[in-house]
Amino acid sequence: MSRLVRIFAWLVVAVAGALALATIALHRGEQINAMWLVIAAVCCYALGYRFYSGFIAAKVLALDRRRATPAERLDNGRDFVPTNKWVVFGHHFAAIAGPGPLVGPVLAAQFGYLPGTLWILAGAVLGGCVQDFVILFFSVRRDGKSLTEMAREEIGRLGGLIAYIAIISIIVILLAVAALIVVNALKASPWGAFTIAMTIPIALLMGLYLRRLRPGKVMETSLLGFVLVILAIWGGQWVSQNASLASWFTFSAPALAVVIIIYGFAASAMPVWLLLAPRDYLSTFVKLGTIGLLAVGIVGLRPTLHMPPLTRFVDGSGPVFAGSVFPFAFITIACGAISGFHSLISSGTSPKLIRHETETRMVGYGAMLAESMVAIMATIAACVLQPGTYFAINSPAGVVGQSPDAAVASISGWGFPVTAAGMHALAQAVGEQTLFNRTGGAPAFAVGMANIFSSSLGGQAVMAIWYHFAIMFEALFILTVLDAGTRVGRFMLQDALGHLWKGLGRTSWYPSILSTSALIVAAWGTFLWQGVKDPLGGINSLWPLFGIANQLLATVALCVATTIIIKMGKARYAGITLIPLVWLVAVTFTASLHKIFDRNPRIGFLAHAQLLAGSPRPQGDAVRLIFNDRLDAAVTATLICLVAVILVESAVEWRRVVGGRKQAAVKEAPFVISRLAEEEG
Amino acid sequence: MRPAQRSSRRTGSMISSARVPGSAIAERLMRAGTLLRAALREIFEESAYARFLARHRIPNSQEAYAEFLRECESLKARRARCC
Repeated sequence: MSRLVRIFAWLVVAVAGALALATIALHRGEQINAMWLVIAAVCCYALGYRFYSGFIAAKVLALDRRRATPAERLDNGRDFVPTNKWVVFGHHFAAIAGPGPLVGPVLAAQFGYLPGTLWILAGAVLGGCVQDFVILFFSVRRDGKSLTEMAREEIGRLGGLIAYIAIISIIVILLAVAALIVVNALKASPWGAFTIAMTIPIALLMGLYLRRLRPGKVMETSLLGFVLVILAIWGGQWVSQNASLASWFTFSAPALAVVIIIYGFAASAMPVWLLLAPRDYLSTFVKLGTIGLLAVGIVGLRPTLHMPPLTRFVDGSGPVFAGSVFPFAFITIACGAISGFHSLISSGTSPKLIRHETETRMVGYGAMLAESMVAIMATIAACVLQPGTYFAINSPAGVVGQSPDAAVASISGWGFPVTAAGMHALAQAVGEQTLFNRTGGAPAFAVGMANIFSSSLGGQAVMAIWYHFAIMFEALFILTVLDAGTRVGRFMLQDALGHLWKGLGRTSWYPSILSTSALIVAAWGTFLWQGVKDPLGGINSLWPLFGIANQLLATVALCVATTIIIKMGKARYAGITLIPLVWLVAVTFTASLHKIFDRNPRIGFLAHAQLLAGSPRPQGDAVRLIFNDRLDAAVTATLICLVAVILVESAVEWRRVVGGRKQAAVKEAPFVISRLAEEEG
Repeated sequence: MRPAQRSSRRTGSMISSARVPGSAIAERLMRAGTLLRAALREIFEESAYARFLARHRIPNSQEAYAEFLRECESLKARRARCC
């Protein structure tokens, strides 16, 4: 293609993107088609990948194809394996795609579709993709070192310690929030609980098939498991319609929380690989399939968005969670825009598979763009719902009232008409007893997804199947995150406690396994219990806490990246990580200060505790809620103190290097010429 | 990819430019399908198992798979799942 044609083609992409963004941003008072969001996203991603990541690759990082990667130099056929870039891309995407990009945008839709969409696009192209790309590249240059190791080497011992604390904090809070989403999705839902319960015998059957009949045939086994899960979803409707069977699978929120806590402990402490490994495969299979299906559904059916671009709740009075659009939209949507957790994956398995340095651009930057697209799809799934329906599902009883009549009166009073009869009919259509107060994001996403699919594939008759398919997908997905996260947390704790007493560091010693598993489960179980008992639904306090912890980890990653860029002698380009860092610090600090000190009891932890303490003779639940509020305030304060410390330590290091008081030297693996690159020409 | 495969791929692309467009599209689709399958095999650890068999020079069997699972258990257990 000639240069002129190329320039023209990119101009067309830029104009199409600008047009789509203008349509999204400037339309008021009439509904728009979801395709405008898709076109805006695709154009922004294409431009960001072609030009911004190209600039970073060429000018800032100077990717060198002739330099051998750790996958080539340390190739051992196990964890270090030179792998095709598309294969690594798929592997990396499967590892970073979690429930976050589905849930965050659904919750943030309370502000309307505009703030979330703009943040997802700008945050990903200028922040999240850059973070994933540079951390992956720096890890490749350092033999696949982890973020904690890089923080310790490049910033200092304190940096390493803070990275460690940030990782443990985010794991604990993430697991609590994830478990709360499952609880809210499955409470009083015999159909959903039955389907998830059925995944246990299905996984055991898969395990036997995989070990005894067809060793190593994981894809074939996962397909078989998938067919069985679909049958379980189909069978769930009879369970929900049969009074005695339904009573077996109807759980209250506290009962489900106890079951999940026991499950988390068992998954971490017991040798239950026969169950967990096949379920992990099944979860990945369903996840990739559903994301693909959703993409095809949105593009094929081009649904209309019923949510307005901006709602009255940008002022902070939202029922889903309290807090104004700045900073809370940017805390609520993490994984689709920028997520610190990704830096763990970018400095984990992926750098050990990269065949050529130049491929870090496609894997790091490209896979995050794909993840961001998932977040756009989740925004669409939430915004195709009628706003009244969306708020009825996502608003806690503590805000809109206990009875359906009270809830519809409150929501209609905000200007989003909804009726109790309409909500009852919708609940019947999806096979649930009620859809009021189903906080957490998962049920709203499931209803949105069912809405999109049932408009063509099977019609209203199979809406309940689509809904329960989506619920099963999210719950299975989250339970996998939960058991894997508990084990990772347990190993991290064992590694740390091993420095105090060697016995505790032995990962196969049972007393150590039991005690560290109990500690991790108790940590996230405390927050989960707090969320379950919270009259405001739990998500109101826990999701922002999770967002703050996640962005703290992103802050650590961006501090490490900025430090390395400055030490590479490229201080003039440090803005590529410094600007997202400054933005994240502003967002994290503002959100944290609001969550601790805001006078509105729905936002500020301390104000809420004070309100409860002010009531005559607080006892029972009130005393526990006061304790929870103070605990949340203390955790938030600790997290921002950690951000402040790592920022100061990094800034001191930057000043030393830029001022010439410290030699600008990076700790990279030595240059070795790539044999693979020479062979491939 | 081995050098022989690579050179045949290069040759293949030279030949394909002279072919009719339909077969070139089919070839591209085949290549995309192969890559997709390879990505899925990597995600679902079938490739890791194949490498394990090649490294230990043993045939596929129940015992070999059990040994593979034991070997990668500790690696997998430390692998975080993203949010």
